[in-house]
Amino acid sequence: MLVVVTTDPEAAVDELTAPDAANALLQRVAAGDQRAFSDLYDLIAPRMLGLVRHVLKDHAQSEEVVQEVLLEVWQTAARFDPNKGRAVTWMLTMAHRRAIDRVRSAQSSRDRDTRVGIRDLDREFDSVAENVEIRVEHERVEKALSRLTDLQRQAVELAYYGGYSHSEVAEMLSVPIGTVKTRLRDGMIRLREEMGVAS
Amino acid sequence: MSRSESRPGADDTRDDFPYDEFADVTTELALALPPVQPSAELKARLMAQVALTPQLPAETDADETGADATGTDAPAAEEAAPTAGLAPVTPLAPLPTPATDAPLASPAAERARLRWFQRPVVTLTAAAAAVALFFGGVVTANLLQPGPDDAAQQLAAIVAAPDVQTVAAPVADGGSATLVSSESLGLSAMVFEGLPELDADEAYALWYITDGTPTPAGLFTVSGDGEGEVVQVLDGAFEAGTIVGVTVEPASGSPAPTTEPIVAIPTQA
Repeated sequence: MLVVVTTDPEAAVDELTAPDAANALLQRVAAGDQRAFSDLYDLIAPRMLGLVRHVLKDHAQSEEVVQEVLLEVWQTAARFDPNKGRAVTWMLTMAHRRAIDRVRSAQSSRDRDTRVGIRDLDREFDSVAENVEIRVEHERVEKALSRLTDLQRQAVELAYYGGYSHSEVAEMLSVPIGTVKTRLRDGMIRLREEMGVAS
Repeated sequence: MSRSESRPGADDTRDDFPYDEFADVTTELALALPPVQPSAELKARLMAQVALTPQLPAETDADETGADATGTDAPAAEEAAPTAGLAPVTPLAPLPTPATDAPLASPAAERARLRWFQRPVVTLTAAAAAVALFFGGVVTANLLQPGPDDAAQQLAAIVAAPDVQTVAAPVADGGSATLVSSESLGLSAMVFEGLPELDADEAYALWYITDGTPTPAGLFTVSGDGEGEVVQVLDGAFEAGTIVGVTVEPASGSPAPTTEPIVAIPTQA
């Protein structure tokens, strides 16, 4: 009973894909329920760490970011407005922003390469034992990405998966910043259509 | 490489990913990444922090910028309000000045003849007031250090227990103590912040006091005045209703407290 149990990720994923699981837990967390927080952690932490580590690379730093973000989730749970979106989105957005802040604040020591494309994703995938459902999700997104133009895909990959700012991407690609924004925007709109997600 | 200026419009001031517009898509992108299993210590540290960190109330001012509280570090401690997550504590009397036998109340002279751990609970309870204010910064350095930490893990287990009680109190010479306990686990832990370093021949002693009878629950020392915090899991079985006290004793320990407590925290039966 003294051991902190980490739930097996398979179970967590199933629940996470049930759209309201995280919302319901977050609502209990907002009321100060620490056990609900524990469940929410099991649900979201592996996904959050996957995202943050993808941007930050360094595992220890990524865990720090996840810790910061989830503590903030605890503190600010009552301020989450379910009418404005899914809890998963709220939490993952917070984590993505924080990971990027961290990368940018350590600009000099940063060890990121510009090839953050889909090939990279695949490599990461192949290196972990995969759960079918995540694999399916991955393939769906991969397929949608493949429908973008090369330039759109590049913009999305650099800006989201790479965590680069618009101006950084503009500089890398030697194009005006407005062009980057347009490509990114068009790419995201196209992705939305391809994945058939509700907006 | 071109320069990256070109800021024609106000639109460009926000050199940021368009999260709001594409929240749905970014969620899909994020969930397409392989999950990474965090270390067990991460959860332990986090659960310990959660036990000791107050929550912010729902937004009152809907000022634009606060739309998502994600910007920088949360303004946590400042606006801390006593909240649902914390066990209720009843503030009773003003804080005692425990350095001496200073009167706790008017009939104190009477009570002072009894040793502190034999006095009625009410005089001790005074020390256990003022919860929320001491919470914000409690868990910092130690728990943030990665690495295995038995005390933090045990603390996390206590915190996750259905009957967890959390009570904070100031420490006589500065700093604060938070008692986290669970009767179902029979465990309690004290989290100290800002505890002064003692002389080499002294140690802090933890006590369970039940019906006026103190039972030693462990000795510890700290190094570096007021640096970070210390988590001590108490030896022996915790029972609800007991009082947890801390005194300064000779380094070898004492069978019963020989000094006034620097902090004493009652628990609810």
